[in-house]
Amino acid sequence: MRDSLYIAWRYVTHNRARTGTLVACVTLIGFLPLALEVLLDESERQLLSRAESTPLVVGAKGSALDLVMNTLYFDDEIPEPISLRAADEVAATGLALPIPVYARFRARSHPIVGTSLDYFAFRGLRIARGRQLALLGEAVIGAVAAERLGLEPGDHLVSSPETVFDLAGVYPLKMHVVGVLARAHSPDDLAVFVDTKTAWVIQGLGHGHQDVTTTRDPSVILARGDGKVVANAKLVQFTEITPDNIDSFHFHGGAEDYPLSAVIAVPDEVRAGTLLRGRYLEQDTPLQILRPRDVIEGLLENIFRIKQVLDAVIGVVGLATLLAIVLVFALSLRLRQREIDTIFKLGCSRGTIAQLLAAEIVIIVGLSAAICLVLLQIVDAYSGGLVRSLFL
Amino acid sequence: MIGGQTTRRLNLSLLAVLWGAAAVSAAAGPLRIHTVNYPLQYFAERIAGPHAEVVLPAPPEVDPAFWLPDAAVINQYQGADLVLLNGAGYARWVGKATLARSRLVDTSAGFRKDYLAAETAVTHTHGPSGEHAHTATAFATWLDFSLAARQAAAIRDAVVRLQPRLREEVEENFVALERDLLALAQQAKALGLYAKGMPMLASHSVYQYLAEAYGLNLRSMHWEFDQTPDGEQWAELEALLRRHPARIMLWEGAPQAGVVARLQSLGIRSVVFEPVANRPGRGDWLSVMRANLVRLEDALSR
Repeated sequence: MRDSLYIAWRYVTHNRARTGTLVACVTLIGFLPLALEVLLDESERQLLSRAESTPLVVGAKGSALDLVMNTLYFDDEIPEPISLRAADEVAATGLALPIPVYARFRARSHPIVGTSLDYFAFRGLRIARGRQLALLGEAVIGAVAAERLGLEPGDHLVSSPETVFDLAGVYPLKMHVVGVLARAHSPDDLAVFVDTKTAWVIQGLGHGHQDVTTTRDPSVILARGDGKVVANAKLVQFTEITPDNIDSFHFHGGAEDYPLSAVIAVPDEVRAGTLLRGRYLEQDTPLQILRPRDVIEGLLENIFRIKQVLDAVIGVVGLATLLAIVLVFALSLRLRQREIDTIFKLGCSRGTIAQLLAAEIVIIVGLSAAICLVLLQIVDAYSGGLVRSLFL
Repeated sequence: MIGGQTTRRLNLSLLAVLWGAAAVSAAAGPLRIHTVNYPLQYFAERIAGPHAEVVLPAPPEVDPAFWLPDAAVINQYQGADLVLLNGAGYARWVGKATLARSRLVDTSAGFRKDYLAAETAVTHTHGPSGEHAHTATAFATWLDFSLAARQAAAIRDAVVRLQPRLREEVEENFVALERDLLALAQQAKALGLYAKGMPMLASHSVYQYLAEAYGLNLRSMHWEFDQTPDGEQWAELEALLRRHPARIMLWEGAPQAGVVARLQSLGIRSVVFEPVANRPGRGDWLSVMRANLVRLEDALSR
């Protein structure tokens, strides 16, 4: 057998192009479904672990998937806004800790997540460099976002306008990066965290400007009197919050009406969570409460349905490739007929010839399996990052 | 797939992360309570006793209402188990700082509808956002001693929520504090009745709740006790006196001797009534309030 393997090895190394093609085909047939399996397993693990660690999400009625994906992964699809009152209502029940989330804006393609300090404790996020958020206009950024944007504490980051055509819209806000989070291997690594109040300033709900009651510039003030001042668009509105102008920043209207995209509700026990869910069963409430795990499991079911289709396609393609390989071998036997005759005339039995051919197949399949294993090891090692960058 | 039991374990571990911190710190030592002014610090110290370390980080020379702490001080607030807010727009820096909502206690949230307006708002218009006003709410709520008692009750509730095992002791402390506060309220009410709507002045607009609760006919100037009013301010006073013939003027601190003498020449007695928003040089909140009422009584009885 060793001799057969030796001769077969000499043959396959001599016909490198043919061997390379066959090895590539067999490798792909094995690698594709297995790699897909590894990636899907990792996706499932990541999706479920994030969903499992987020007990309940309160948001506007509408697409449950959009709401959960935006709240957990800061996805582009922004759910209908709810108000801060929703968080206050959760707090008032005494059943859960409400954590506001306002993930609507972006800074250089990274999501700006307006939240409160409770979020950092809830997700176990730790400041690696710099310090925690303290004042309006400050931002703490995820480890990957910091790397990609080349930002460190002390740098600035400008919010991106929602649309370039919104010429009359609010000015972008120049945020002060005060801290960089330690890597969490989650979507938090890609995010820019600000206080919800800073997110509202980005939206234009809060702003700072020259003091209209003291400025005497006639080109700014259109009318003054009777406790009323009318200023024109020349009034300087601040696009950066500094120690000098922070006092001029103010919000109009009741804070309870300010928007959020969702509220993460963290009940103090399972029973409290059930009771809280019961509060949102009325038909007339504009809010819905979701268990992210249920929503993500629904999503995974769909993904697995797609995977089954993909598996079938890969199966058919694999079968076709296998048939092609069989054909290649059959044709190569014909091409090698003179060579086989010579071996036969040299005194080799038909069994030995079959053994030689079988050894070639074993070598090709063995090489393919080895390459496939190495590739799968690589995919497995990088699956976390791959899944985060490709799917989440 | 992860089963229900695992989910329950995860939920419980989350709970431990969020709520357990306070319990752990409580077990390890006293509660860390930060306040935005001295009245709340005093109330919290009385209520929690030795079970809390109550801190007012504002330096003694500033008015905590208008103080803006730096990031390092805000970081101290972030580390507290409880942050006691006065509400009513007091300490506007709170609206510009990042603090954990779960640790904030707005001690006046229970009587928001009873807030008083401080002064006429300036309405202004600019840009596409339309007309809006910078409304001002009177914030020295503790000068209505009944409201102060309600703020103290909010502190009691917050402490008990964090430390249920201290319920009895905290309740006992609260009852003693409430007794003192209601005694002040009774004394102030008697003074209000005695004053019978007598016109009075205030050097600054901080006494809205005192005036409203105890029927004092107060009109506010914008004078600083450590500054000499200019001619315009004296003229403003004289014009006001024609409509509002006051014989008493309340001051946040001891006014300058020259000012006292000139007011005396106009028939106005100066009475120091310290709001004690920050730590007093001597005594505590209760003793200063008692002294305030004694001085007012003395001025009224002359």
